[in-house]
Amino acid sequence: MRSLGNLVSALALSVAGLALAGPALAQPTGTLVIADNETPENLDPANATNSTVNELLIGAYDALVQFTAGETTVSPRLATEWTIAEDGLSYTFKLRDDVKFHDGTPLTAEDVKFTFDRLQAAKGNVLNDLGPFTGAEVIDPYTVKLNTSAPFGPFLSALSRIYIVNKALVEPHMADDNARQWLAVNDAGSGPYVITSYAPTEAVTLKAFPDYWGGWEGNHVEEVVFRYITEPSTQLSLLKSGEVHIAPDITVEDKLALQSDPNFRVDVGAAATPLFFMLNTASSGPTGNPEFRKMLSMAFDRQLHLDTVLMGLGTLPDGPLPVGWLGHTPGTEQGYDLEGAKALVEANGWAGTKLLVRYLPAIIEEQRAVEQLQSNLAEIGITLEAEGMTWPAQAATTASLETTADLNVTYSFPSFPDPHAVLNTVFNGALTGTKGGYNWSQYDNPAVNDLLAKAAASADPAERAALYGEVQKLVGADHAAITVSLPGSTVALAANVEGYVYNVAHHNTFNYMDIGLK
Amino acid sequence: MNYALQRIAFSILSLFILLLTTFLLSHVMAGDPALVAAGPNAGAAKIEALRKEMGLDQPLFVQFGIYVGDILRGDLGTSWFTRQPIAEDLLRELPPSLELVLVAMLINLAVSMPLGLLTARYAHTRFDDAVRLIVMAGAGLPVFWVAILLQQIVAGNWGLLPIAGRVSFANRTFQGPTGFHLVDSLLAGNIPVFLDTLSHLVLPAFALALLFTAVGVRITRTSMINEFRKDYVTLARAKGAGEGRIMFRHVFANGATPALTVFGMQFGWMLGATVLVEEIFGRPGIGRYAIKAVTQSDIHAVVAVVLVVGIVFLVANLAVDILVYVLSPRKQKAG
Repeated sequence: MRSLGNLVSALALSVAGLALAGPALAQPTGTLVIADNETPENLDPANATNSTVNELLIGAYDALVQFTAGETTVSPRLATEWTIAEDGLSYTFKLRDDVKFHDGTPLTAEDVKFTFDRLQAAKGNVLNDLGPFTGAEVIDPYTVKLNTSAPFGPFLSALSRIYIVNKALVEPHMADDNARQWLAVNDAGSGPYVITSYAPTEAVTLKAFPDYWGGWEGNHVEEVVFRYITEPSTQLSLLKSGEVHIAPDITVEDKLALQSDPNFRVDVGAAATPLFFMLNTASSGPTGNPEFRKMLSMAFDRQLHLDTVLMGLGTLPDGPLPVGWLGHTPGTEQGYDLEGAKALVEANGWAGTKLLVRYLPAIIEEQRAVEQLQSNLAEIGITLEAEGMTWPAQAATTASLETTADLNVTYSFPSFPDPHAVLNTVFNGALTGTKGGYNWSQYDNPAVNDLLAKAAASADPAERAALYGEVQKLVGADHAAITVSLPGSTVALAANVEGYVYNVAHHNTFNYMDIGLK
Repeated sequence: MNYALQRIAFSILSLFILLLTTFLLSHVMAGDPALVAAGPNAGAAKIEALRKEMGLDQPLFVQFGIYVGDILRGDLGTSWFTRQPIAEDLLRELPPSLELVLVAMLINLAVSMPLGLLTARYAHTRFDDAVRLIVMAGAGLPVFWVAILLQQIVAGNWGLLPIAGRVSFANRTFQGPTGFHLVDSLLAGNIPVFLDTLSHLVLPAFALALLFTAVGVRITRTSMINEFRKDYVTLARAKGAGEGRIMFRHVFANGATPALTVFGMQFGWMLGATVLVEEIFGRPGIGRYAIKAVTQSDIHAVVAVVLVVGIVFLVANLAVDILVYVLSPRKQKAG
């Protein structure tokens, strides 16, 4: 009966569609061209932790729940509603029954289960953020249950990177690599756009999927093209010549210049990717001493960095958590006070100390931050030597205490707007550099670890906010890191682009499914 | 024939040394590919498992042995990051780069040969000085800067040539059997795509050629000057041969050989130098592929790129060596 009901409603819909055909029925039109300075590595949803991959998949696939650009909580997508078990150990999702994959196959709970099974078998990186997830169960064709071994507060948020794949299409390619090779260059999604061509060093093209379950009401583009343009000046030229509509990677100076040009617009998105000097807290050298780290924190002028390096395109940081986020607690991190730093250096006889900082010279903001700290420290008698490297090389140096530099410059790219995504990644003792994590301060404070675990397991926002507040106070008192900046995610757009909104849960991507051309 | 075999054996040995060096250097420089592959918040256990899966837990010489074994079977391996057979990746990326290098080489030859010959003929005149000055200045300019300048002015401000890309937007779906747009468009009889591809090649090829032209002119000049000094030129002049005839029939034909050897080497160097030009002009190719591979510690892909560039370098040299050998009567006697 159910399927007959579907058929009837499908017929009714198509009749309605016929009746509405003509100017009233929205049709996506035009081509939107987006420049990106970094090429994608593949198209595998297992790899959606990487923004160059995620920006392509976010339009080609659907997730159970998703962050709409501009919002900080998830809303229904493939799942229409969900219930959380009282013990917090399982989530039951009701699925839409009208979703078709790009090849016409209907999407059911089997596809959801297959997606999770495959990610587990392939050790998909997107599972890293899913905490204590243990497995998926099919309850009925449109109901699926996800189980965890412990309650996990950010579970729903983390599901926003789990893109559901078409089981019928992928299963035959599982072979011994869990379809890694096949999904790396093929589309198996149900999203609003279909990836129609993939030339990873040149361009990727997506075309609107006519049978998209969400429909095409409003102004949308028929085609989206990503062009891989490394050089900022080339992106600018292409933007000016009209060959590119969105140019995210042009220089800050050029963005400022475009702000006063009526043909362009510069969007400054919420600043949610803090840049840090991670101070080696486990070092047997000077940075092992909290008082010395306090002095370092006093020597960095965050306001000057915001004014002269970011040219005001960002937010003044106040502690490691982006300002305005759940649990953000002001005043926890030592602020700029060069005189005070100088007094500490004199009182402790630290003058003449040599320190090493490692950073990525390819990122101008990191380079400038290093130069700024170098010059301030030089004033108070401390020499900061800088060593630039590639990211993999820098990460590898943090794998042992002996090779970890006194300071390491790095961004935190939270994969969803939740304090867990910043504080746990940066300060959890289980994720230090020596344990393969991004806690390059090698900071391991049992009290902080406990608070982080408690906060992650809680579903109560007020309780979590309080726990994360405590974490910030402890981390601040230990001077584990200097929060350099909260750069705004600035993007230059042609004036005829409408509907662009920065998505804090999908940093460095574009909500092209909501964009139209005027 | 002995000579050719000797050259080929030498080339294979060079390739092996190149392979070993790149492999070892990549492992030292790359950090931990398993850490990169594991993604953020992976945890120690997952990284360890990946390290095993990627074979990185084996001693380095064992890894190298396995790798060389694969290569000898014609398998360049699978990229840890594109997840595709590296050979397929390279087959896709090589044609656009080779196309760029071939056009750059044509520009290089078209400028270097005549200027070299003329500056040799009119050595130590004002003309010679002027050309040398301009050519030296050209060699001293950073390619990076010249490329951006050309792009901003010729393409951006004047709109004479395209700013970036391999073809215009309208032709972006064009594909052919060889992967070389210039060849495929001609095979398909599609002249607009041919001209479009060519117009997209002019600026990048010019920027790439500039660096090599200075050396090209000077080498050609030097070897031509040597020829002009030889007795047969004096004899020809004494016999009343015209200056034009002497320049082209005698001096150029003989003096071109040493220059040819240098141009052969330049071909390989150019392929290695495409990186910068490809990045600036937003072109696909082996340079961009290599950069991505390096920044992700995709060791096998990096080594494969170096190997392929090395093979192109050696093949170009071998071809020139054999050509010179065939052309030169003296070497034939000695061999």
